Amino acid sequence: MTNSIAELENADCILVIGSNTTSSHPLIAMRIFRAKQKGARLIVADPRRIQLALMADLHVRHNLGTDVALINAMMHVIIKEGWHNQAFIDERTEGFEDLKKILDAYTPEKAAEITGVAADDIIRMAEYYAKAKAGSIVYCMGITQHTTGVDNVRTLANLSMITGHIGRESTGVNPLRGQNNVQGACDMGGLPNVYPAYQAVTDPDNKKKFESAWNAALSDKVGLTVSEMMSGLSHGPLKALYILGENPMVSDPDTAHVEKALKSAELLVVQDIFLTETARLAHVVLPGATFAEKDGTFSNTERRVMRVRKAIDPVGNAKADWEIIKEISNRFGYPMEYGTPEEIMKEISSVTPSYGGITYQRLDGEGLLWPCPTTDHPGTKFLHKDKFVRGKGLFYAVEFKPPAEVVDEEFPFWFTTGRVFAHYHTGTMTRNCPTLDSEIHEGFLEVNPGDAEGLGLRHGDAVNISSRRGLMTAKTMVTDRVTKGVVFMPFHFAESSANVLTNTVLDPVCKIPELKVCAVRLEKVA
Amino acid sequence: MSDKVKDKVKELLSSGKIKGFLGLCSRDGNIAPHLFVTEDELDNLVVGDKSAPGDSRYPLNRQLINLVRAYPDDTFGILVRGCDERGLAALASWNQINPNKIEMVGIACPQELAIACECLKPYPESFVDGEKCEGVTAETVARIDSLKVKERFDLWLNEFSKCIKCYGCRNICPMCFCNECSLENDELIRKGEIPPEIPTFHLTRAVHMAGRCIDCGLCSEACPADIPLRTLYKKVADIIYKQYNFRAGYDAGQKSPLNFLGGLPE
Amino acid sequence: MDYRTVLTTCTHCGCGCNFYLEVLDGKVIGTIPCKTSPTNEGKLCIKGWNVHEFIQSEKRLTQPLLRKDGELKEVSWDEALDFTAKRLREIKDTHGADSIGFLTSARVTNEENYLLQKFCRAAIGTNNVDHCARL
Ligand code: SF4
Ligand code: SF4
Ligand code: SF4
Repeated sequence: MTNSIAELENADCILVIGSNTTSSHPLIAMRIFRAKQKGARLIVADPRRIQLALMADLHVRHNLGTDVALINAMMHVIIKEGWHNQAFIDERTEGFEDLKKILDAYTPEKAAEITGVAADDIIRMAEYYAKAKAGSIVYCMGITQHTTGVDNVRTLANLSMITGHIGRESTGVNPLRGQNNVQGACDMGGLPNVYPAYQAVTDPDNKKKFESAWNAALSDKVGLTVSEMMSGLSHGPLKALYILGENPMVSDPDTAHVEKALKSAELLVVQDIFLTETARLAHVVLPGATFAEKDGTFSNTERRVMRVRKAIDPVGNAKADWEIIKEISNRFGYPMEYGTPEEIMKEISSVTPSYGGITYQRLDGEGLLWPCPTTDHPGTKFLHKDKFVRGKGLFYAVEFKPPAEVVDEEFPFWFTTGRVFAHYHTGTMTRNCPTLDSEIHEGFLEVNPGDAEGLGLRHGDAVNISSRRGLMTAKTMVTDRVTKGVVFMPFHFAESSANVLTNTVLDPVCKIPELKVCAVRLEKVA
Repeated sequence: MSDKVKDKVKELLSSGKIKGFLGLCSRDGNIAPHLFVTEDELDNLVVGDKSAPGDSRYPLNRQLINLVRAYPDDTFGILVRGCDERGLAALASWNQINPNKIEMVGIACPQELAIACECLKPYPESFVDGEKCEGVTAETVARIDSLKVKERFDLWLNEFSKCIKCYGCRNICPMCFCNECSLENDELIRKGEIPPEIPTFHLTRAVHMAGRCIDCGLCSEACPADIPLRTLYKKVADIIYKQYNFRAGYDAGQKSPLNFLGGLPE
Repeated sequence: MDYRTVLTTCTHCGCGCNFYLEVLDGKVIGTIPCKTSPTNEGKLCIKGWNVHEFIQSEKRLTQPLLRKDGELKEVSWDEALDFTAKRLREIKDTHGADSIGFLTSARVTNEENYLLQKFCRAAIGTNNVDHCARL
């Protein structure tokens, strides 16, 4: 997030798009409730009637995958009405003219055709957001899990920059990271192109710096992404995969494809706390420890680094994950000699500029928000205060592109996925919490009452769902949370895994698969 | 105000009268609920005022129940404010704890906190620190009562629509000790949906708290949707008071008129 | 008797709520939201309130497993670790460092993420490291 969580309370307009916040980030929803209580305007753009829509000043249900058209039209209106912040644009950004040119075509009327949102509503969205003193945008996977994921994010950044709603308290473009420590995983260099703190592996200076810190020869070739690794396994060049605490058999699109890939590995190592669907395929399974069994830190979605503290010893013969990695490294012939996670953090802060000032001692109390370069730096509540990281904020002129797969006669329903309030991700942990499992213990398919009637489906009926990639069965939930022509399914449940159906097509830039849209056919199980 | 509390706890621990003292301590830069078992830990004892009086109160009574269930023969000390003492009295009347095995160390709340809580009795029967201040009647209840029915209905509807069904109001409540909770009864309240059925979920809980709620406010403080639950339960408590002349926990030994289920086995 | 409350950070989403795990005689018996936390101010969602339930689940893996004759069998740590290190070495030597990939995790700590990518880059010698958290 560009801004910290608590700042949301003081925004006077919040645009929530592609985030079912009360389910997936409930404690951020709390801040949105509070902002609303203080009089903020709440705009929810979501094809589903999510809980936040119940209290929104305006809820628009745009067609799946039409975010760019919707936001471009908002900007069209803002510029036409002169609600943009010219001073901010002049001082802090570049590329505005190019953006302006393409926005000409995005009249609310044209966007209405694409998005299914009434032109008047688009104008109101534009007005609420542009005229706010502090407008904040909150988004999640509903924006990123598209072939146009990067386009979507850039479009939201454009919107925040033309109105100057960025770089100030309670404004910003705020992605809610899907998983608990995904921020940390990225910060720590769990990415094929960067070392910790997003230092490019292709930059010779970085390479030199890490070679001397780590006392090893390093590669300057960008590595493979998850999806590339999967096809690398299927097609040969990749021979071994070491998976730490992930369950791609449930989380990744096109399960059949993932299974084939994992089964063709010469060596599959899985380190996890449960025997997941993925672990079952491994050659060796290493039992790791939960967050309650070790010391360490997590970085939450607002960039706050916080302590994890050991409450009990690992169960049975399980081991803390850092110890397992250390032992393997030692046996492999690359010695690691850390006695505690705190020692690892000392090394992290020495090579990771944004974590430079972070020590366990300083994390007591409220933790620290990075960038925190030195031990006397207080941490950073919001980013881009006086300038953007690259200097001037760059507008990208982004045109609307339809989703990779669209409905047709054979597959006439739009299919989308998401979370439910009682579960998290692939359910590895939450489905092993009896209370949560009893709250919701199976997958289901949300179908609009009109569609259900047409298909002869009643609440609780089993329904066959097929896409170009697979077939599965689930229970029908008849609800007007979804509009006609759209169906929704949570993805936490391995036995009715939504990802049997989803599309592996990737965003060309950031390689995120289009989990949020594909086309399916429905049939009542006879 | 922690010094006198420390002295008292020191005495209890050193005399061997108690096995441990459940209170609050300052630890890891935060205020933590803590079981003190040795005297030297007492340096960090606090009473739970971080930025405002009583802003860091914890469900010590619930924790105490966990301890006495595991160690029924031992005696424990516990930090109590007025509400906590009411809680212990009510828990004893429902046979959830044995009062003879509990040593209360009381503190009286300052007026500021009593006003924030709208607490009728902001002090325990006996206390080692603080000064008795005036009880406060519930202005929030009066304000909502003064609304027209439709306005009142809308107000609660809006509040309930924010509920994210965390069950925190129940989980933190010292008076929620049923083995099976009606809130989780699928026939009463459909599972798996947020907001949970309006107003069934909230009214079910309100009805269940009648004659039980000791007005500690921990539920309101735990609610991520900032729903004024305490106000709702205060209203219910007023109704019970008018009908039966009874308020839970105010008169040790008195059983709730709704205690018709009988006590649970000890 | 050993009763402790341990302050930590939730593992069930990116909000990063703080709570105390209530531990009685080595068993995690409950979760108590931290009142002084800047992220959750004494509140939690349903996932946070029940986070203690999976920690000591009977289904936890408690012993390393190694595939022998097609089946995963319990083995000692020494055997599992030696096998893993040896196979990684063999594959690196035959097919090169870029034939090995690593998926790190949004579920483990920063320190562990750091260590795994360091192992991947410094010990194996490839940048084939990613995580599944785009999903
Ligand atoms: S105020 Fe809330 S938490 Fe306290 S006893 Fe009443 S219902 Fe329970
Ligand atoms: S604490 Fe609040 S949000 Fe949670 S269940 Fe109770 S009323 Fe709902
Ligand atoms: S308690 Fe809920 S909102 Fe808070 S971090 Fe855990 S899962 Fe997220």
